[in-house]
Amino acid sequence: MTERRPVAEFVAEATEIVEGLSRELLGLDERRGEEPDPERLNAIFRAAHSLKGLASLFGHDRIARLAHVLEDALDALRLGKVAADDALIDAFIDGVDVLSGLLAMASRGETDGPAAERALALAQHIETLVAPAPEKPPALHELGVDKAVLNVLTEYEEHRLRENVKKGVALYMVRAVFSLEDFDQKLTALNAALKPLAEVVSTLPSAQASDEARIAFDLLVACRQPAADLEAVIRPFGATHALLSASVAPRPSAPVPVPVTAGPTAEVSLKSLSQTVRVDIARLDRLMAAVGDLLLTRTNIKRFAEGARAAGGGLHPMWAQELSREARALERKLDDLQKGILEVRMVPLGQVFDRLARLVRRLLRESGKEIDFEISGGDVELDKLIVEELSDPLMHLLRNAIDHGIEAPDKRASKGKPRRGRIRLRAANSGNHVVIEVGDDGAGMDDDRIRDEAVSRGLLTTKKAADLQRTDLLNLVFLPGFSTRRQVSELSGRGVGLDVVKTNLGRLSGLIDIVSERGQGTTFVLTLPLTLAIIRALVVQSAGRTYAVPMSSVLEIVAVRPSELRTVEHRQMLSVRGQTVPFVRLSQLFKLPETPVDLHYVVLVGLAQHRLGIAVDHLLGQQDVVTKPLSARLRDVPGLAGATDLGDRRAVLVLDVPALVSEIVRPQASP
Amino acid sequence: MSTFEQLIDQFLYRPDEPGLPSLQWLADAPRPESTGVEAPQEFLAFSLTDETYAVPIATVREIVKVPVITEVPRAPKELLGVMNLRGEVLPVYDVRARLLLAGGVQPITGPGDVPAQARIVLVKSESGDAGIITDGVEGVVRLLPSLTEPPPPGGTEKPFLAGLSRRGERLYILLDVEKVLE
Amino acid sequence: MPETLKVLVVEDSKATRELLASALQALAGLEVVTVVSGFEALKVLPRHRFALIITDINMPDINGLELINFVKKNPHYKDTPLFVVTTEGRTQDRERGLQLGASEYVIKPFEPPALVELVKKHLKL
Repeated sequence: MTERRPVAEFVAEATEIVEGLSRELLGLDERRGEEPDPERLNAIFRAAHSLKGLASLFGHDRIARLAHVLEDALDALRLGKVAADDALIDAFIDGVDVLSGLLAMASRGETDGPAAERALALAQHIETLVAPAPEKPPALHELGVDKAVLNVLTEYEEHRLRENVKKGVALYMVRAVFSLEDFDQKLTALNAALKPLAEVVSTLPSAQASDEARIAFDLLVACRQPAADLEAVIRPFGATHALLSASVAPRPSAPVPVPVTAGPTAEVSLKSLSQTVRVDIARLDRLMAAVGDLLLTRTNIKRFAEGARAAGGGLHPMWAQELSREARALERKLDDLQKGILEVRMVPLGQVFDRLARLVRRLLRESGKEIDFEISGGDVELDKLIVEELSDPLMHLLRNAIDHGIEAPDKRASKGKPRRGRIRLRAANSGNHVVIEVGDDGAGMDDDRIRDEAVSRGLLTTKKAADLQRTDLLNLVFLPGFSTRRQVSELSGRGVGLDVVKTNLGRLSGLIDIVSERGQGTTFVLTLPLTLAIIRALVVQSAGRTYAVPMSSVLEIVAVRPSELRTVEHRQMLSVRGQTVPFVRLSQLFKLPETPVDLHYVVLVGLAQHRLGIAVDHLLGQQDVVTKPLSARLRDVPGLAGATDLGDRRAVLVLDVPALVSEIVRPQASP
Repeated sequence: MSTFEQLIDQFLYRPDEPGLPSLQWLADAPRPESTGVEAPQEFLAFSLTDETYAVPIATVREIVKVPVITEVPRAPKELLGVMNLRGEVLPVYDVRARLLLAGGVQPITGPGDVPAQARIVLVKSESGDAGIITDGVEGVVRLLPSLTEPPPPGGTEKPFLAGLSRRGERLYILLDVEKVLE
Repeated sequence: MPETLKVLVVEDSKATRELLASALQALAGLEVVTVVSGFEALKVLPRHRFALIITDINMPDINGLELINFVKKNPHYKDTPLFVVTTEGRTQDRERGLQLGASEYVIKPFEPPALVELVKKHLKL
């Protein structure tokens, strides 16, 4: 975690900026009524901008917010979108006053005070001064946008259009005609070319069939630059443009008096203060659970609203409509809330990587081996809970690599390898997952030794061991109590085996794989979900029971007739586009009453390179769910990640896909 | 019922509403005359088949009507399933088989399958709170420690019992909550 | 012999696309052409005679409403029934979709057999 720098340093730098801001503002104040000097405006704008950056860096959110509002206002002023009238200049001068007050509070370590209240009021005041009056949203059809175009905008696109109009950006209709063969490439290129100066709000394929081989598009474009620039960009595409509405400078509304209270006198002390808050993850969990419950309430209200509209009688139509509208508003806010909480939970892996790096460096000194340690991907973000739980498994794998993976320097030299070994810790995003690799360029895993060990421990018969493929053989190291190392090392001889690493990862809905080449090294690949807090789930039904499958591991859904299944070595297999995938009926796996079906709905799940087809009787749809852990009493029940509520207050079990994949795809260690 | 009424009904129906709102009435109830010798201890008495069992009131978290219980595949047979109690997922056990009572483990899948008197006694426990399905809750009884005897020797159910206690004519079998839920 | 009816499915979610395709093939015996975006839809439209089009609303290139507009105003396709299948339950989008000429507006999640029934009804199967 980034350590907070001393507050005194912040206060000193911020004070300097505010003083500069104040000086320039006085200059502006003296020449009221004149056209402001652009350079001076720019200087004030830059000062507000620096202050915003500095304050947010140090977690002084109030100062950052006020500076942000000032910055936006100055930007509008700088770009000539608003006039430097008395109300605005007065507000700026108040701003300097309030900022000084806030800095004084910060230096005293106070969180509440008159300056804080003034800051909020002032920020709102300035916003109203520069924003177009909110009570009259621009009527889109008055902007010259064709009704036919307006009709095909989604709500989001319409919002984007409004935003652009609100900002006074000019609207154009760009028409481009392309060949049916390559119009998609051409449009992508046109979009890319437009991006630096404009926003493409909508792309409407023209319905008029001009000729068979060509297709025309009408692009609704909000262009921030002069028309000549737009023209220059679109000309190479053979496109033409028409101005719909010119850029409008929103007029400032009438000045609103702001209550002015005497600012407190600055008194500098060195008490530390921060406006960032440390939060116990359990509190965020509770918050998330509350959001989860609200999502259910929302689902119910929605159903209720829809039902009320459909049912007609009983409720006044106005009410039903109102209810629907409110339900939609609730839905949007809940989405924001959910996203917000998820964001708060996300932390960079660098937090744990930094700790690991310190430990690894200590271990390296102790090991006497010459090893370079490389870290990358520390900026990849994961749920805080997962990040915390990762430190032990990762440490174990790193110890393993230092201790068992990398050979002694002389041995390496004798094999023609560089004396210095290399250990890599890498993280990268991969869709819904994060992949973390712990790799070394050491000796690699020894098949024969693993085979001997497995046989001598009675985990496998000699014959079965001889039949195992290398990948399956490697996976034996995850069995409890397995260790190929005869001599227990100071470093990793902690009695924790790879089985514990695997179990820990399983608890995080993660999966671990080994890639190992003899003489080349070993890499452990960890595949983890981004968050466990809220997941998108596929709701399925089997033998009349409802289950939820996390969508993050669902690759696709296929319908298969029973006759299309094949049996290979007593296991049912399914062919998906030429790939053979193990198949299991959920009802069979869970020992539920099975009924013959004409068609299996197969949920094809995959984690890392493993695939499994889980057949269910019905697909009920998708839903965002909060997974609640099953009681500790049920920890030994396999294949379940938890339970959730889909809105009917029943407990619906959530499948533990990594566990099911391991159970079915991985070799069973039975003699 | 109109569709609309059905919707309202669904919307308002809360299967997880507790049968007894709280045990607060207990604290407010008048105390019995002190015997001067020993203080009685409070137990919650409930019936399983034909017997009356009791657990210390301090171990009881809540008493709830039987909600929809979700069966947990591949779980031990004593586990009836899990229930959703105001967002918390709790295991529910049927301990009758362990106590060698007739009735045993019956498939109970929903409120419709259980007698109206049936209640789930939610107990606090070290290894996680859990519900025990009972045929009915009788109420709180005050039992004197001096009238409590150890469970009779022999019998496979013995490890799950904490003792036997009498109050007048009634015999209460004291259940060892931790052991019976193990 | 009657020719097999073709359905165009425009959907960027792989899971939904496959689910729709499997359901339509298995339960209604329809031939299904799937594409992942509006652009692709524009490309395949002239190459087949579709009995029905099913489209999502939110897609990376052009949105479903724009596609409906294109289909319903184009003399070649205007009589082809068109369904919207989307997660977006926003009323405004729904109203616009129906106004532009969509025959059905189905909000995900949906039960595939029910959707197939709806399709059959429109195709009079």
